[in-house]
Amino acid sequence: MEIRAHTVSAGKAEGQALVYKGPFSFMGDLDSTTGKIPVPRHLLEGENLANKVFVFTTGKGSSGGDCIAWMAKENGNMPSAIICLESEPVLSGAVIITGIPTVDRPEKDIFELIQTGDYVKVDATAGIIEIVGK
Amino acid sequence: MQLTDEEKRMLNGEFAPGVQKAVELLVKLGDSFDAEKLVPISYGHISYDLCPEDFWNLMTEGVPPTPHLVTTHPSSQPETFKAWGLPVADQWVEEHERKLKRFKQLGWLRTETCAEYLLCMQVANNSLFGARVDRMGVLVSLAAAVSGRCPLMGLLLQENRYASHLVELDDLDVTDWTLSHYHCLGYYIGDQIPGFKPVAVNGLPPNLSFDFVRALVISMPTSGAVTLGHIVGSTPEAPTLEAALGNRKPEQVIRVGKQEMSETWERLNVRDDDIVEHVSFGCPHATIDEIGRISALLEGKKLKTSLLIGASVSVEALARHQGYAAIIEKAGGHFLPVCPSIGNPFTRRDIAGHKQAKSAATNSARSAHYLATVSGVKVFFGTEEECIKAAITGRWKGEIPKWK
Repeated sequence: MEIRAHTVSAGKAEGQALVYKGPFSFMGDLDSTTGKIPVPRHLLEGENLANKVFVFTTGKGSSGGDCIAWMAKENGNMPSAIICLESEPVLSGAVIITGIPTVDRPEKDIFELIQTGDYVKVDATAGIIEIVGK
Repeated sequence: MQLTDEEKRMLNGEFAPGVQKAVELLVKLGDSFDAEKLVPISYGHISYDLCPEDFWNLMTEGVPPTPHLVTTHPSSQPETFKAWGLPVADQWVEEHERKLKRFKQLGWLRTETCAEYLLCMQVANNSLFGARVDRMGVLVSLAAAVSGRCPLMGLLLQENRYASHLVELDDLDVTDWTLSHYHCLGYYIGDQIPGFKPVAVNGLPPNLSFDFVRALVISMPTSGAVTLGHIVGSTPEAPTLEAALGNRKPEQVIRVGKQEMSETWERLNVRDDDIVEHVSFGCPHATIDEIGRISALLEGKKLKTSLLIGASVSVEALARHQGYAAIIEKAGGHFLPVCPSIGNPFTRRDIAGHKQAKSAATNSARSAHYLATVSGVKVFFGTEEECIKAAITGRWKGEIPKWK
């Protein structure tokens, strides 16, 4: 199945989806040295974001998010692609600087259609999300 | 995006490699938000210490001193940290000195200011002063400071500055509220507002003190992405509710009552015992009023825990002139223009090494959030007085407020 979306940061990538129906900040929500979510009591506490297609609602949090993203990229701990409902400038800056293919404003309900573990391809340049396998 | 001739030349690399990379980045960012053009900035605020050195070098390569004013966010102070006996601070000294040297060559000012200045802590500038700045990351801010440009988007545009979301207080008597209560309210609000939406808070007393308004708005982008909070009756674009909303109906009304406040206060505490090893103040950077109150509470006392107050270079100087700093330091507290949350040298294992404090108390929701997540330590959130008591006794006796 294909879902059209808006380009935030161009490029193509694919991987297993990790879905979180909430906002995300690279600063605080990602340990750049391990790729894991370190937040106590977070629904995804301890999950590893590295090389996943990370699906969430919006960006949030500190403007230092792009610095953490840069360090995570150097450590190979960034998601392979990002799909969110609506990006914001800190998140967009972070994924543009680190070259992570990212789309937002999907035309269908991604939380209905994508579950954690699904295999997903993201062509952010064309603005197309493809759900390959459940 | 439409670029001026000068911007096209920047993009072609005619000025400096750093300027070229900066404009490339700003154009890509602007394009993703359908910005029609870049606009000149009057003021930039950056963080050279948070910025990884390879990115810093890329952006500043060949860049001459800038005509516009640029100041800095609190940086790390490895020499001082070393003098305080924090063992791993050494590893940062050289990188810090290299970046600082370049920073000064650019003609930029080392103010070490956190919350009140442009581009980094955007919410305070937008909300408290009516300055126009969009939400922007540290690395993007550096690109803007280097090139003197920023995409015309988001909160730079008047039509995006009206509140789409309204917060109403439900049966909350704020008469006895302290800074921490406003932090807690802001943290709850930030969590409730979807994405990047301006919010209006209605129902607080008019002409609320600067410190309270600042605590309230600064906590919102910690739990969310709010970058403009209108506090009706207190902030410049919100003389009335109608003005804050631009005479439109809010998309959503969020009600906050006693239960929401209690749950948020509890959530800000991440702990399993009552042992406090560190106390942090100054997130956002302490004002002279706060420092005066803290010094009064610390007069003649001896601290059991380490204590750090973050304040800007200029406020720190004033606190020294007033004699506040001497009282705090005599009690065993530390005073420095650093970030006491994300960059707290006492709780960061990569600075403090084996001397890392494993638990910290704070009166700031923002500090509580980042001490727990970035430093990974246990956190006690409470009032200024509860934090001072913890610093003196090493034990936490704080309680969730009884809401009126």
